[in-house]
Amino acid sequence: MNRNYYFLTAIMFVLALGTLFIHERVVSPQISPSELLWDVLQPTRFVTTDQVAKRLIEKDPSLLLIDVRPAAEYDKYSLPNAVNVPIDSLITPAGQEYFGNPGTKVVLFSNDAILANQAWVLLRRMAFKNDYVMKGGINGWMETIIQPKEPAETAPESAFERYEFRKAACQYFTGANVANTGKSSSKVKVVFKRRKKTAVAAGGC
Amino acid sequence: METLPHQEKNKTKYINPYFGGVLMGIVLLVTIFISGRELGISGAVRDSVVATANVISPTAAKTSVYYGKFLKDGHHPMDNWLDYEVLGVILGGLLSGILFKRVHKPFVERGPNVSRTRRLVAAVIGGILFGFGTRLGRGCTSGAALSGSSTFAFGGVLVMVILFASAFAFAYFVRKLWI
Amino acid sequence: MGPIAINGLISANLNLVIAVFLGMGFGFVLEASGFSSARNIAGTFYGYNFVVVRVFFTAVIVTMVGLLYLSYFGWLNLSQIFILPTYLPSMITGSIIMGVGMIIGGFCPGTSFAAVAIGKIDALFFAIGLFIGIFLFAEVYPLIEKFYLSGYLGHVTLTDLTGIKPGWWAFGFTVIALIAFWVTASIEKKVRKKIKEYKF
Repeated sequence: MNRNYYFLTAIMFVLALGTLFIHERVVSPQISPSELLWDVLQPTRFVTTDQVAKRLIEKDPSLLLIDVRPAAEYDKYSLPNAVNVPIDSLITPAGQEYFGNPGTKVVLFSNDAILANQAWVLLRRMAFKNDYVMKGGINGWMETIIQPKEPAETAPESAFERYEFRKAACQYFTGANVANTGKSSSKVKVVFKRRKKTAVAAGGC
Repeated sequence: METLPHQEKNKTKYINPYFGGVLMGIVLLVTIFISGRELGISGAVRDSVVATANVISPTAAKTSVYYGKFLKDGHHPMDNWLDYEVLGVILGGLLSGILFKRVHKPFVERGPNVSRTRRLVAAVIGGILFGFGTRLGRGCTSGAALSGSSTFAFGGVLVMVILFASAFAFAYFVRKLWI
Repeated sequence: MGPIAINGLISANLNLVIAVFLGMGFGFVLEASGFSSARNIAGTFYGYNFVVVRVFFTAVIVTMVGLLYLSYFGWLNLSQIFILPTYLPSMITGSIIMGVGMIIGGFCPGTSFAAVAIGKIDALFFAIGLFIGIFLFAEVYPLIEKFYLSGYLGHVTLTDLTGIKPGWWAFGFTVIALIAFWVTASIEKKVRKKIKEYKF
């Protein structure tokens, strides 16, 4: 009898000792491949540089610009108030704090739209919503907002209106206050509430 | 050995306590794995008190600060996971009693130096105190102490430690009931 | 991936049906381990019967260790399970009252229900007392609501509060429980020599 108890004590002790060396698996929600395919085919995730510029000028608090390029490129130049989350840190908890917060729209951008698009697919796979991709990336931003081209004389009225807006925006981002461009103002600390994870069981007595 | 009047008749052996503990742990693990919640008892008693109050006087129950909390969303207060589980506890106890031949005629178990009436009065008083305590403690020995501690909840460990300490500290004063 | 009811792998109604069976398992173990006897439970506090300590703490350490392994193997998402909330003052008071109730009545709610099932009148009276106690609580609730809700810490775990990994807690509890098992076994042996009339 007693020998069995020595045995059981030892087994329980070893099992408990084992828990010191294993770590809790953190599971993040995911969406199904078919759902992902459907979302990837939708063009609705793209926003134009004009839309982003307009929101920036209006100082829309719900807009969050995320630069997914490596930190070195971000340090050289980035959009105003953009936060740098390199694409490889999107899968870390620290990088994910910016996403899925209720009431914010996240706009991803990179040099062109490819890297940002990849980041978007990754985020969508992890079931984050309200993420967008800036069409054309920083290159597009340069061509349209910073150095807008005057439309041909035969162009429709709306093209001229857009040109007027772009000239004003260019003024806003470069001329009016030089210090306001680029990364200088981008190092803002953005504090977000951790988003509520998945459903939790109700319970208790 | 002859059975004395206060002792259980035809008492059969219980299962090994450590084996019982492992089984209980497995039941609790399966419960958590399936439903994400834990075993509990006192919540079901509360639900039946709420349901009874609702039958006796629906308007008073709905306006009552405490009962009202459980009558808000319109569904029956007894339609709760816990209530189904407690139904199972009674059935499970009966099943074990039948299996180990412990089901007997109604019987009062008591300590050797206490009369039947005193034992029953003590049982009711103990029940009243325990019932009142469960509401303050957010659960009983099963719901708060066992399940809470097992899921690493701070509240569970708190209830477990203080509950046992309190019973231990008070045991001396009521020793006549038991020894 | 558990908890399967929360992740929508079984329907809510099936979950209720399973609840009956889980309760049956719980009730069965309670009765089979001897929790249906008030003398067994009260015996813990006089040192002549430690069955409660053994069953209870074995269950706690098995569940603690089991949860960590289930999580490690990816079968259970620990962030989705229910964690008991903590309200410091009222839970401390409630536990003290419950402890007194347990030693006077000789049962706790779960064990009294299991004991009623096999025909114990004292358990029935205890259960009736539970109903009265909760009814009384509901009656005085408006007076103590503030106290009832004070000191809220949230659904905190030991890890949230201390920053110590759950593995250490599981290990610590296991070591304490294993030591307690050996110590109580020797206490029980000594005390039982003095009590002659009780059949164990």
